[in-house]
Amino acid sequence: MIEVRGVTKTYGKKNNVFTALSDVNFSIPDGASVAIVGKSGSGKSTLMHAMSGLDRPQTGEVIIDGQDILKLKSKEVDRFRSRKMSFIFQSFFVEANETCYNNVGMVCEIAGVPANEHRRKIEKALEAVELLDKKKSRARDLSGGQKQRLAIARAIVNNPTTLFADEPTGNLDSSTGEIIENLLFRYNKEKGVTLIIVTHDDDLASRCDINIQIRDGRIVSINEKKPKKESALKKKKVAKK
Amino acid sequence: MKRRYIIRRAGRSLKQAKARTLLTSLAIAVGAFTLTIAIAAGEGSRQYADKLIGSNVNPKALFIVKDKTIFEGGQNQSGLQEYDPDSTTIQGGQATIKQLTQKDIEKLESRDDIEDVRPRYQLSIEYLSVEDSDKKFTADVSQYDSTIRNETSTGSLPELGVSIDDDELVMPESFAGTLVKSKVIQKKADIVGKKITLTVTKPTRQPTEEEIRKALLSGGGVDAIRALTETESKQVSLTVRALTKESSTSLSFTSAIQISPAKAQDLFDYTTEGTDQYRKYIAVTALAVEGNDPVDVKEALKKDGYPSQTAEDLQNLLFTIVNILQGIVAGFGVLALIASVFGIINTQYISVLERTQQIGLMKALGAHNKDVAKLFRYEAAWIGFLGGVIGSMIALVSGVALNPWITEQLDLGEGNHLLVFEPLPIVSLIVGLMIIAVVAGYFPSRKAAKLDPIEALRTE
Repeated sequence: MIEVRGVTKTYGKKNNVFTALSDVNFSIPDGASVAIVGKSGSGKSTLMHAMSGLDRPQTGEVIIDGQDILKLKSKEVDRFRSRKMSFIFQSFFVEANETCYNNVGMVCEIAGVPANEHRRKIEKALEAVELLDKKKSRARDLSGGQKQRLAIARAIVNNPTTLFADEPTGNLDSSTGEIIENLLFRYNKEKGVTLIIVTHDDDLASRCDINIQIRDGRIVSINEKKPKKESALKKKKVAKK
Repeated sequence: MKRRYIIRRAGRSLKQAKARTLLTSLAIAVGAFTLTIAIAAGEGSRQYADKLIGSNVNPKALFIVKDKTIFEGGQNQSGLQEYDPDSTTIQGGQATIKQLTQKDIEKLESRDDIEDVRPRYQLSIEYLSVEDSDKKFTADVSQYDSTIRNETSTGSLPELGVSIDDDELVMPESFAGTLVKSKVIQKKADIVGKKITLTVTKPTRQPTEEEIRKALLSGGGVDAIRALTETESKQVSLTVRALTKESSTSLSFTSAIQISPAKAQDLFDYTTEGTDQYRKYIAVTALAVEGNDPVDVKEALKKDGYPSQTAEDLQNLLFTIVNILQGIVAGFGVLALIASVFGIINTQYISVLERTQQIGLMKALGAHNKDVAKLFRYEAAWIGFLGGVIGSMIALVSGVALNPWITEQLDLGEGNHLLVFEPLPIVSLIVGLMIIAVVAGYFPSRKAAKLDPIEALRTE
C-alpha cells in the first residue's frame, strides 16, 4: 500500500516560485499496476521521484507499508530504496562498459546481498528476461530492446515490492516496446509487484489497473479499471491451488 | 556497499579508461621513481658509511682535543686572541690552536672512564733508507693506531686493540711500489722483514752562554762553537712487519709509515726537545672503559674542558652529508608529486562529469553518498598505487642494472652498491602515494557525492 497525502513540491525562491506538485493525494494498493499520465512538464516525473524518496517535497507524506519515507534520514531512504524499490528508465542507463552480469550485480552489491547468493540471483534475473546467454557480453554490444531487458533484470534481481518505470518504451520501436511491456506486466501479475509507470503513451496507460492523470502538478482524474478477465482467471488459478 | 565491491568496481572503471589511467599514474610514477632512487641512494650511502666506520673504527674510541675549533675545521680563528703559552700556530699561520700539555695528559690518564690515553704525535723525519741500499727517501711517519683496522697485502697485523712492537713498522703498499721502481727491492713483498732506518734530526738551537764558555775553554776554538749549533741527529732501525693495502672501505688509510706509539713518542720527544712543542699535543686518543657509553664519556670530558669526538660523531658527520644530498633528490621527487596531484584532481573531475549517469543510477538504486565518494577515492588510490608501483619498479630495475657501473665509477669497492633497495621503504612509499592520491581525489569525490540523482538521470 502506497499512500500519497498532501504532497506539494515547489522550485525556486520567493518571486520566482514554480509549483511542480500541488497537494497531491492518492493511494495505490499492493500489486496494482499504475500509470501516471501527463504531458511533459506536468509534474509526473517529480511525483515519481517524490514517491521513491529521490526527491523531497516541501510538505506532505508518502507512506509505504506504514512508513512515511519523507521522515526518514537520507541513509535510511537509500536503504529503503535498495531493498524495496527499483527503477527502469527511458534511456536504459545500463553501464555500457560493464558486462550484463556486473550490471545486474551492482544492485546486489548496493543492497548488501550476501556474496554467495549473487550468482544465483543474477542468473535467475537474466534468465527471466532471456539474456542469460549474454551474461558475459558488455552492455554496449546489446540492442536497445536488449538493454531495456537488461535494465528489467537489474530492477527485479533483488525482488523489489515497487517497480518504477519512467517511459520504459519511449526509446524503443513498437514491437520491441511491446515485449518490454509484456515483461513488466507479467512480472507485475506473477510476483504481485506494484508497478508504477510514468508515461504519456495512452496505449500503455490503458493496460494498467489505475490511471492517474496529472496536469500542472495537480491530479485531474484517477480511473480505476474493473478487474478484467485476466485477473479473474488468475483468481481462479489461485483458488484451484 | 561493501568495501571490496567498491574497490573492485573502481578497478574496473579505471581499466575501462586505460590510456587515461596510465597517463595520470605516469605523472606519479615520475615522483615515485625519483623518491625511490633518493631513498635507495640514502640507504646505500648509509650502509656504506656504516661499513666504513664499523670495520675501521673502534666504537669505544674517543678523539680528545683541548681546542674545539679543530672540529670546526679551524674556522673562527682570526681576530685578537689572548696569548696562551700552550698555543701553537699551525699550518702556515692559518690558525692558532690550544694544545694539550703533559699536565692535561696526566689528568686524562687519571680518569677512570677512559683508558689507553695516547697522544697523537706530529712526527717528521729527515729521511729513511732501506738496508743494503744507500738510496734515501722521505716520507710521512705516524703512530700506529690500534683502534683502526688496516687491511694488509703482505704480512699481518695484530688484532684490534693491540699495537705493533717498538722495533716494527708498517708501510703502505704504494711505498713498496716506489722502492721496486727505484730498484731497491725486486718485488713488493720483499720489503717485509727488511730493516728500515729512520733518521730524525733535532732542531738547531741557541747555545747557552755556559755552553759557549765551556767550548771556548776546552780549546776547540771556533769549531767547538760551531759543533754546538750543528744539527744533532739520531737513527732508528725498524723491521717492516706488513704492507697496508689501500682499500675503498678503509676510511683511515694513511699514506704514512706507521710505527709503534712508544717509538713515536721517543722520536717526537727527541725532535722537539728544547722547543716550545716539547710534550705538547694537538690531540689524544683514548678508549672508553668497558661499561661506559662513549657518548656519556664525551659529555663528561666536555664538562672538564676537553672537547672530543666519538666514532658516532664521525658517522653522523658522514650521515649529514648523505642526508643533505638525499634531501635534494627527494625534493625534486616531491615537486613531481605535487604536479601529479593536480593531474589526479583534473582526471577525477573529468571522470565525475563523464560518469554523471552512473553516479545518478547508483544513487537511485540506493547507494549512499558515502559509497559514491568512496568509489572515486578508491579510484584515486588505484592510480596512486599504479604510479607508485610503476615508478619504483622502473627505479628498482634501472638501479640494479646501473649499480655495477656506479660502483666502478665511484670506486666504492667490490660488493658495495650506491643504490640499496629495501622492501619496507618502497612499500611505505607506495602506501604514501596512495594516501596522497586519495587526498587529491577528495574534491572530485565530494562533487560526485553531492551530485543530485534527479539531475544526473534527467534525459535530454
